[in-house]
Amino acid sequence: MLLTEHDPKDVTRILFQDFPTWMIVSFYIVGFLAIGVFLYGVWAQIRKYRRGVRSGAWSPFWPRFTGMFGKVLSHSTIKRRAPKAGSMHALIFYGFTLLFIGTSTITLDQDILGPFGIHFWYGSFYLVFGTVMDVAGIALIGGLLYMMYRRKWLALPRLDYTRPDRDPSEPDFDRSWYRREDWAFLWALIIIGVTGYFLEAARVVWLQGDPTVWDVRWHAPVGTALAYVMMGLGLGPEGAGDLRMGLWWFHGIIALTFIALIPYTKVKHIFTAMGALMAHDPESKRRMPSADVDSERIGIGYLGDFSDKYLLNFDACTKCGRCHEACPARAGGYPLSPRDLVLSLREMANDKFSHASMPEGPIEVIGDGVNMIRPETLWACRTCAACIEICPVGIEHLPIIIEMRRTLIEEGEFDPILQPTLKSLQKSGNSLGESKRKRPRWTRDLDFEVKDARKEPVDVLWYVGDYASFDPRSQKVTLSFARILHAAGVNFGILYEDEQTAGNDVRRVGEEGLFQSLAEANIELLDSCEFKTIVTTDPHTYNTVKNEYPEFGGHYEIEHASAMLERLMREGIIPTPVKLNYRVTYHDPCHLGRINGGDEPPRQVMGRLGVDLIELPRNRDNSFCCGAGGGRIWMADPPELKKPAEIRAAEAADIDGLDVLIVNCPKCLNMMEDGVKGTGNEGKFKVMELTELVEEAMGLKDAPEPEPEPESTPEPVGTA
Amino acid sequence: MKILVTVKQVAALDDEFEMRDDGRDVDEDFFEKDLNEFDHFSVEEALLIKEAAGDDTEVVIVTIGDEDADDALRTALAKGADRGIRVWDDSLAEADGIAIAKVLAKVVEREKPDMVFTGAQSADFGSAVTGMALAGILDWPHAAVVVNLEYSPGSNTATLRRELEGGLEEIMTIRCPAVLSIQLGINEPRYASLRGIKQAKQKQVDELSLDDLGLGSDGAAAASRVRRMYAPEKGQAELITGSAAEQAARLADIIKELRGM
Repeated sequence: MLLTEHDPKDVTRILFQDFPTWMIVSFYIVGFLAIGVFLYGVWAQIRKYRRGVRSGAWSPFWPRFTGMFGKVLSHSTIKRRAPKAGSMHALIFYGFTLLFIGTSTITLDQDILGPFGIHFWYGSFYLVFGTVMDVAGIALIGGLLYMMYRRKWLALPRLDYTRPDRDPSEPDFDRSWYRREDWAFLWALIIIGVTGYFLEAARVVWLQGDPTVWDVRWHAPVGTALAYVMMGLGLGPEGAGDLRMGLWWFHGIIALTFIALIPYTKVKHIFTAMGALMAHDPESKRRMPSADVDSERIGIGYLGDFSDKYLLNFDACTKCGRCHEACPARAGGYPLSPRDLVLSLREMANDKFSHASMPEGPIEVIGDGVNMIRPETLWACRTCAACIEICPVGIEHLPIIIEMRRTLIEEGEFDPILQPTLKSLQKSGNSLGESKRKRPRWTRDLDFEVKDARKEPVDVLWYVGDYASFDPRSQKVTLSFARILHAAGVNFGILYEDEQTAGNDVRRVGEEGLFQSLAEANIELLDSCEFKTIVTTDPHTYNTVKNEYPEFGGHYEIEHASAMLERLMREGIIPTPVKLNYRVTYHDPCHLGRINGGDEPPRQVMGRLGVDLIELPRNRDNSFCCGAGGGRIWMADPPELKKPAEIRAAEAADIDGLDVLIVNCPKCLNMMEDGVKGTGNEGKFKVMELTELVEEAMGLKDAPEPEPEPESTPEPVGTA
Repeated sequence: MKILVTVKQVAALDDEFEMRDDGRDVDEDFFEKDLNEFDHFSVEEALLIKEAAGDDTEVVIVTIGDEDADDALRTALAKGADRGIRVWDDSLAEADGIAIAKVLAKVVEREKPDMVFTGAQSADFGSAVTGMALAGILDWPHAAVVVNLEYSPGSNTATLRRELEGGLEEIMTIRCPAVLSIQLGINEPRYASLRGIKQAKQKQVDELSLDDLGLGSDGAAAASRVRRMYAPEKGQAELITGSAAEQAARLADIIKELRGM
């Protein structure tokens, strides 16, 4: 090894080589200034977050920290559904991090341990260090070049910041400032990286006469290769010395400026994204925030009502646009983009909470002003949680929207069409304006008696739900499920007139007081009954009983009907002699699939039915909402906009020879049937619930039976 | 300044129901009780006037009913009314609009409001008589079916628009204090969240007996009595289609059938 010819201590880079003292002093002054500006900025940001309500979202610290650290190192959340951009971000991240560690190492050697006479940055360590830095630089520049290409030439709609919910004349319409900042960020980093290599090369040319430099030059291959190019172009040691001095200052000033500006620009996502990922609550898509309904105010109406966590969320957004792309409201042209909501709140917080003193009086967040959130934006949400699911930095859009809806409900600021629904829920515990007495009326169409779980113990308590009880189309499914349970010999019962809606959509529409009162009444009722488990065909009921009732003391084991059917089929309790020769596709209900991970059991059931399942392009956790959630099923969709269900129905219609679009939720059934009609696909394929197909396969129903296929018969006959 | 709004807890009927044993009313089990739809509008109108005028206008809600009626009272209070009065005596169980008006008149004498609003009618009995009778007893001006109102608390007159038959409307000026019966659609009533209704429990509600109002149990006698309540038999309808001859033939068949020929 070349090292043997030299004293290892001589093999290093002499910092500030040939610098006059005034220059070194100037550099330190600039350096400390930059760090000062950086620290002030960090403090000002933290001060901003602390002006919100304390959430305690970062404790317990270590488990949250390690969880976040794993996600950052693996880049798992960034690579999801965007593997290329994620990998390229990883190159930038690892390149930047290594280079940062490198610079810190030199600072440690020079400024921290150096004064005590301790040095380690020489010899083999120095040589390996140089190689690592060169590779890191390549990764950084490569990643940045791809991002430039992606922004400039891929022209992804998700990176377009113009707002569908604003008029071009409005000041927050296109946010061109963001675009300029994106490019300044990319260019700044690339210039820092490239000048680093030039600096390295200029030094090699300049010190070509020094064997401790020249002999080990290839430890930094990129810089040295560049040095050869420079020499080939006629650069001598003297000229290189001047070039090195100029580049040194250029590189240094840009790098220090970059550091100083971190807390003031999008670069702060380095910290805010980590903070948001740490604070992220995995339950945030399932469980809406608890609230004291007896307090004077409820929900979020003022900027100061946001918690420190949400204020940090606003700064964590990197404008990647994945939520913007996933949002069904946005896709239909409704005035909501989760990204724009977060960015508006970011701008408002920066505007109002960043100064030394707080503005006087509370700051309204809901209204028509610049950066204010408009009521129609909040009402556009379907609570499908597609935004939370895909956000790479753990922003919790959904609870933020629900908290603001709570304010709107208290102020009466909502579509008048919602008022009779809420009144009906208050009076009769259902959203359809029906009397309590009518709830169990569907049972009259059965030729057997359904047990009354209020009066006798049952194994399975069936929580029927609103739409399944009252909606004429859903009632057919409800009857199917009853017949299946009966045929399977399941000991089940229902709550008859006393069942009220579980309240998932009531909570998500923002009527927290009503939700809590329903939850308390239902829990009291459930606690007075004897049963082992609960089953429901309604994913909304499933979600709320499973995830939100524990907060009110209701701890139950609950299964969605599709999971129960899968289990009963697997255990052979439900025989399915009739093979269904259908080509089908499956629409995952948000509250079952994405929100509760229940995407496998329904597919297992379909597998056993023998149907030919063609998946929709967006499925499982990326399923596209039917548009019913969050109380939207109670509100009218303006005819000029595309209903999410129509977008979905069109996706299904693209499947050749489709017989059935299978849904697995009473609300999806309602919406998708409309969606199929609205897109002119009525008669081309049917919308059916999974339960109905199971009943057909059991041979319980006089359905148009498909020709039994010879190969599908369980036992081949007549084989020799 | 004070506006008194009279409200009623009405009964909504399920589509399947049974009559009470004495045949004079529906069995209470088949009721869903709620604040009268019309009263949502009269309460809203009072609140809008109060909000436009500032805080020194008081909106007082009065209802006549047993404890069940607290619900209606609290709904109105949750919307922003200042306090409530509930009058009850078992002798009022079969009170009609006239009896109710007699009691309300005593409440008005006690409260001395600048204006009284009632709903145009109740959604269950629909006699539309209480407001008119109340004005008669008090000897105050009255306007029925008010669909628009310009009034600021304390002024001597109010300008209003009311619905007449045949799609006509009339604009009139009325001397105050007055009793106005408010029609549906005059405004957009606000929603009382369940949280608001619960918190309205903290608002003052005075429970008064007939004695408190200086009325003996015969002081509020009803002017009418329900003898029997029943569901009339449903008629049938059939749309006759086809050519003139076919329609005539079908008509002849129906006539023959009805005459038993």
